[in-house]
Formats: sequence, structure tokens, C-alpha cells
Amino acid sequence: MTGGAVYIVGMGIVSSLGLGLDETMDALINARRALTTASPFPIALPRYLPVGAVSLADAGQSPPRTHRLARLAADQALAGCDIPPDAIVLGTTTGGILTTESLFEQQIDDPKRYGLHALGSVAEDLARRSGCTGPVITVSTACSSGAVAIKLAMGMLRCGLARRVLAGGADSLCRLTYFGFNALQLIDPDGARPLDRDRRGMSVAEGSAMLLLSLAPGDAACPQIIGAGLSCDAYHATTPHPEGAGAMAAMRAALDDAGISVSDIDYINLHGTGTIDNDLSEARAVKTLFGPGLPPASSIKGATGHPLAAAGAIEAVVGALSIDRGLIPANVGHRTIDPALGIAPVTSPLRRSVSTVLSNSFGFGGNNAAMIVSRTARPLETSPSASDRPGLTIVGRACLTGAGLTDETRRAFFAGHACRGVLAGGALAQGLAPRLIRRLKRLPQMALSLAVHACDGVDAERMPVMVSFGTAWGALSETHDFLERLIETDQQYPSPTDFIGSVHNAPAGQIAMLLGAKGANVTTSGGDYSFEQALLAADLLTRQTADPIFVAAADEHHPVFSPLFDASVRLAAQPADGGGGLLLQRRQAKGASCIALAHYGSGEPADGVKTLVQALGGAAGMDRRFGAVMVGLPAARRKQAQRQLDSFLELSRFQGAVIDYRRLTGEFGGASAVASVLATEMLGRGSVPGPLVGGTDQALNGKGVLVLGLGDFITAIRIVPS
Amino acid sequence: MDQLIAELKTKIVDILNLPDVNPEDIQEDAHLVGGELGIDSIDVLEMVIMIEKDYGVAINNKELGAKVFATLRTLAAYIQEKAPELPN
Repeated sequence: MTGGAVYIVGMGIVSSLGLGLDETMDALINARRALTTASPFPIALPRYLPVGAVSLADAGQSPPRTHRLARLAADQALAGCDIPPDAIVLGTTTGGILTTESLFEQQIDDPKRYGLHALGSVAEDLARRSGCTGPVITVSTACSSGAVAIKLAMGMLRCGLARRVLAGGADSLCRLTYFGFNALQLIDPDGARPLDRDRRGMSVAEGSAMLLLSLAPGDAACPQIIGAGLSCDAYHATTPHPEGAGAMAAMRAALDDAGISVSDIDYINLHGTGTIDNDLSEARAVKTLFGPGLPPASSIKGATGHPLAAAGAIEAVVGALSIDRGLIPANVGHRTIDPALGIAPVTSPLRRSVSTVLSNSFGFGGNNAAMIVSRTARPLETSPSASDRPGLTIVGRACLTGAGLTDETRRAFFAGHACRGVLAGGALAQGLAPRLIRRLKRLPQMALSLAVHACDGVDAERMPVMVSFGTAWGALSETHDFLERLIETDQQYPSPTDFIGSVHNAPAGQIAMLLGAKGANVTTSGGDYSFEQALLAADLLTRQTADPIFVAAADEHHPVFSPLFDASVRLAAQPADGGGGLLLQRRQAKGASCIALAHYGSGEPADGVKTLVQALGGAAGMDRRFGAVMVGLPAARRKQAQRQLDSFLELSRFQGAVIDYRRLTGEFGGASAVASVLATEMLGRGSVPGPLVGGTDQALNGKGVLVLGLGDFITAIRIVPS
Repeated sequence: MDQLIAELKTKIVDILNLPDVNPEDIQEDAHLVGGELGIDSIDVLEMVIMIEKDYGVAINNKELGAKVFATLRTLAAYIQEKAPELPN
């Protein structure tokens, strides 16, 4: 197994600067400011705010704009490549929201039209087009999404989970971000002027960049990503830490990951959004870290605008272009040095040889990422083999369903009773201080409740440092309320609080703030497999550390949006929501249970189930390790999932208990997280409760429980005694 | 002015969903932001929207906001001064 660098063997980019590497390079060489008042949706404000828009020939609604931008970048990155990537990791915050906004505005209630709303649908679209049948992961950590996606892709390559990964980010302009950032007074009416003394904010933009990453070099001398680091401020929902503590931690982590020092950096590609607070805190962090030897630095967001989730990926490509073609891009829009920052950015493009670039991406919720692109090949390192590495031990757990919190849910479920339903707000927020949740609607309250209860009674040294949170649909209440008020007030008075709460990573940010978790903070979104994605991310982030991580997934039921977006919800007997969370730590612990994601692949291929059974060690492996299977058969895919289950039972010759858990938990995205918590409880009692198998208790005999996800994807979570 | 102050107290408690705070708990000359009430920068933005919507007064940058939102009295005075529909 190799560690260290991964090669960029293909790149694709589309932004307000243009389509493809050459148009991008041309715009950068000419320091072109690509901010305009073009907008893909009607704007009723008295004054247009400059944006970084992409000229798309086809302006239809299907597929949504983010999907089209991602396709443009992916097609370039995969050009001339016959073999599909082993995995896809995409960062996005918008998914199909632009289309959803238009439909919602027109009061269209045909669910088919909302079919590509989900964030995960962008990466799934790329997977279908490229023939990728492996893991398809969607990351949503606001403006650092693209960089975090690349970090996770590196992790997959380094641990041998994949040999070639398509990774990047995509976001389209939409009402939510345009009016949302404006409501936060974070938009510069004259266009972004990063680092300038008179800067007043950012310019929202759109775009996509995709990188085909591989452990093996491509044909040409291709740049590599040699390190990446993540951190969380755990400070404020929208404002960065004033001294840039989190930004510095991410940059340090990236340097450590790459095994280089600050003196090796030739160019710093700053996050530099142009907001007063971001640029100040980033400047402080960079100055503290680099001291007097600050290399040339610039932000390109005065040229491109801020393409949000795409920013990290776009700037990784710009970093690679810098190295490949010898260019330090200008900090377009900058006129006057801000004495408060004490940084003089590069104001005209510099043609010179560049070997190593540091690129920053910071997001709402204090989600920070830093990445290092380099031309210098690093020697391969030997990582400890998988068998030497301890598993992820379960230190704490909590779940939430219509029946209540963990104890109530377990009692109902183990008695074979339905625990599906929508828990009332008061019961949901039990144990949370009123002041803590006064601005939080349903999903963030669920997330905090899971975190508080899972960490209840846990020793200080086992409290989570990192957070990995999965959600299929994000904060539906906040998203709905924001859009509703935007429409009702003719775009005049959108709620800043709802905008802040609407971002998918808001719940994980709230958890980090509550627990002071300053390590990596990741939010994944992949429909019914969002918990599995969060678990995969957690596994990758803990390869080199014993820092505890809180892994959870939850989804809220929203009376308008849930049935519009989620086909399984439409088929459900009654509304339901909930989630589950596990506090995990990589260590040996006798008597504790361990959790691992054993498989994640597409549900489409004919041999999908066969691959799953092989991954589990065949019939012998199944029999040796598992006493029960909890299986998730999403209502919307019940026939397909049932066929997959029949095939699984035939191939694995599994004779133990099989529990169809959604019949009891109800239909919602985070249901497999509830199932995983309940599986852990079963391990604790050593048996499958009789009512679940229509008879008496079935002893597990020291074996584990497999939590199987079927339908569009086939996933398997292994929960076993250590 | 007193009527405006009383009105603002009710609105603030209502839109900010401040738990355990009654309108009369807001002191006219105490720090409005960062004090015991727990009002922070996000609340300020929410108040900005409310003031624009209900009184037609825009407070669209941070520097101005810092002055206007110093206390409830400074806020009321600013609205009084700028609002097209309020008698002076």
C-alpha cells in the first residue's frame, strides 16, 4: 500500500472564466474580471449584484444547472479515458435547488419534476454517465466542499479502496445563495475585491471542476496532490475564528500530510472571498504560519467570484495550471492594501516557475480545508497494513425515532412494535438548553440531541474531536421557510437565520460548536445511504489518528418537501423521521463492538450482490461473522431491493435472522443510522429479540450484525464484537 | 419614541425567539448585542430585515449597524429619524 501523493491524471473546469483549461488559463493570464449581472433566474432587487456566471448554451431545467456544470467538467477530466473511475467524490451545496426554486415558485407539485433535487443526484448522474459502479460520495461542507471531496478521494486512493477516483465540486447560481448571502450582508455591491482595504464582501458564482486522481502517474508529467488537511473552527455558524485558528490548523495539517514545510510553498492560493471577516482571519492565519517568509499570495475570487462548493476543486485545477504552465494568478479586483491585513497580494499575473502551491478553502460552520499541489514526486511510503490497524470501536450511541430517544426506540423495536412517526418538538429537544436551540429548526435539533445523548457520560478524553454527519435532504424546514418567505416578499425580505440553517452542513457545525470538536467536520448526502457515506468518511479520516469521531445521520420529515423529494416517503404508511449517532474511536478495546463499512457499490450491475457477498468473505465469512442481518429496503425501490435480498440470501446461504427494519422505523433517509444503533444494542444483549423473528430470542453466539442497504446502491455495515 | 421602543421590544423578543426574555426585560440603554439577552450578530441581521420590512429603514452595512444597534434607544432613534412614515 502506498501513502503520500496522488496524481492528477485528468482535469476539467468550467467557471465564469470559461470552459476548459485553455480558456481558464487565458483569462488568468489576462487577469480578466468575469463578474457580470447575468443571472439564471429573475431578480426583483432594485440593483443587480455582480455574480460569476457561466454561459450555458442550453438553459432548460433538466437536468438542473449544477448537474450540467458537473457534466461539463467531468467530461473533460475523463476525456480519452475508456475505463470508468472506481469511485466518485463530489462536493456540492446546491444539487437541483435552482430547478426546485422555480417549480416551487410556480406551485408545481408533481414530484417527478423534483426528481433531481437531491445533492447526491449530481454525483449519481456522473456515475451513470461514466459507468462507475463503486462508491459515489457527496460531500456538502459549504464553501470547502470541493476541497473536502478531494481530501476524501485521496484517502480512498491511499488506503487502496480505489485506484482511480473522480473528485471535485459543482455549484450553480441559485436564489438560495444569491439572496441568502445578501441577507447576511456578505455581498460586495461593486463585485468582490479580495484583500482590498475597501472590500465589502464576496460575489456569488457558479462552476465546476473535476479531477481524475490516481496512484499511478498519467502519460504526461502531471502535477500531484501531495497533502490535504481539514479542521473546524467550532466557533460560529457563519463568522470565521477572528485569529484564523481553524484556518491555521487546516494549513498545518495539509503541510504535515504532505511532509513539507512552509518554505516549500511557492504560491498561496488564498480562499480570499472578499468578505471583511474571512480575509482578515485568513490573513492573520497565513502571516502567523509563514512568518516573514510569506510567498506570493492571491485570491482568484475577484476574477471568478465565489463558486462555493466548486471553489476548492476549481482552485486545485488552478494550482495545477500554475505549476504546469508557470503562472501565479493575480488578485483581480484589488487596489489598495489593507493595513489591517498587512498582506500585499500579487496584483498582476506573474509568469514564473512554480513547484508547490497551497490552496485554502474555508466554509460556513468553520469548515476549513487546505490542499497542497506539487510537481515534485514524493517517495512512496508504507502505511500499516489493514490487518494491523484497529477497528472503529463504538464508545457511545444514541438514536431517535417517532417512539422517542434510544431507550424508547429500543423498547418499541425489540418488542416488534413500530417506532415510526414524527416525534414532537419538546421530546426531540429533551436535554437541550432553550437558548441553544432558539434559532434551530428540526434537523439541527435532531443532530444536537443525538450528539448530546451519544456522548452522555463519556470520559473527556473520548469526547469527539471530529464529526461526520450524513443527511439525505438536509434542513428541509429552513430551506422551505427561506424560499417561502423569499417568494412571499417578492425577494425583498429573506431570513438570514433560515439561510444559515439551510446549508446541509449546519447541523454538523452545531454539533462541533456544542462539543468543541475542532477536527475534521464532514457532511455527506447520499439519499438512503447518507449514513454509510458518513461512516466511510469517518473511516478515511481516522486512518492515522485515534481522535474520537461522532458519526451520525438524520433526516427530518417536512410536510411539503419530504413527499415531493423522497419517493419512499410518498409510499410510506405514515410520516416518519429520525436518526442515529455513534461515537467512534480507532483503538483496541476488548468487549466493545466495532463498526466498519464493508461494502458500497451500485445496485445496478447484475453482479452487484455477488460482489457484496465476496466482500463479506462468501458464505463461510457470513456464517462465521454474522448472527443477524438488518436490511433496509427503501419503499420506492422495494421490488429491486427484494430481488437483491433474495439473491443475497441465496448466494450467502445465510440462515440467521433477517430483520426488515424500515417496516418498524418508517421511511426516511437516516433510517440505517437507527438500524446501526439498534444492531449495536443487540450485540450488547447478545441476542436478536424474539418478537423480531416471530419466536424466541435468537442468541448471536458472539457473532455480529450486518446492516445491509439495498436499492439504488448496495451497502453493508459490519457491527461485530472486537 | 416610547411607543416605538415598546413596539420594538415586543418584535425583538418575537422574531429572535429569545427564551425566558420578556419585552420589559430589554433595557433601553443597555448593550443590545453581546449582553445578557444573548443577542448576537445573526440576530442583528434578522432585526435588519425586520426594520427594513416594517419601517422601510435600511441598515445595510456593518459599520452603520454597529452604531445603530448599540442600544435599543439608539436603534429607536435611528428608525425615528429615517422612517418615512413615523412622525418626528
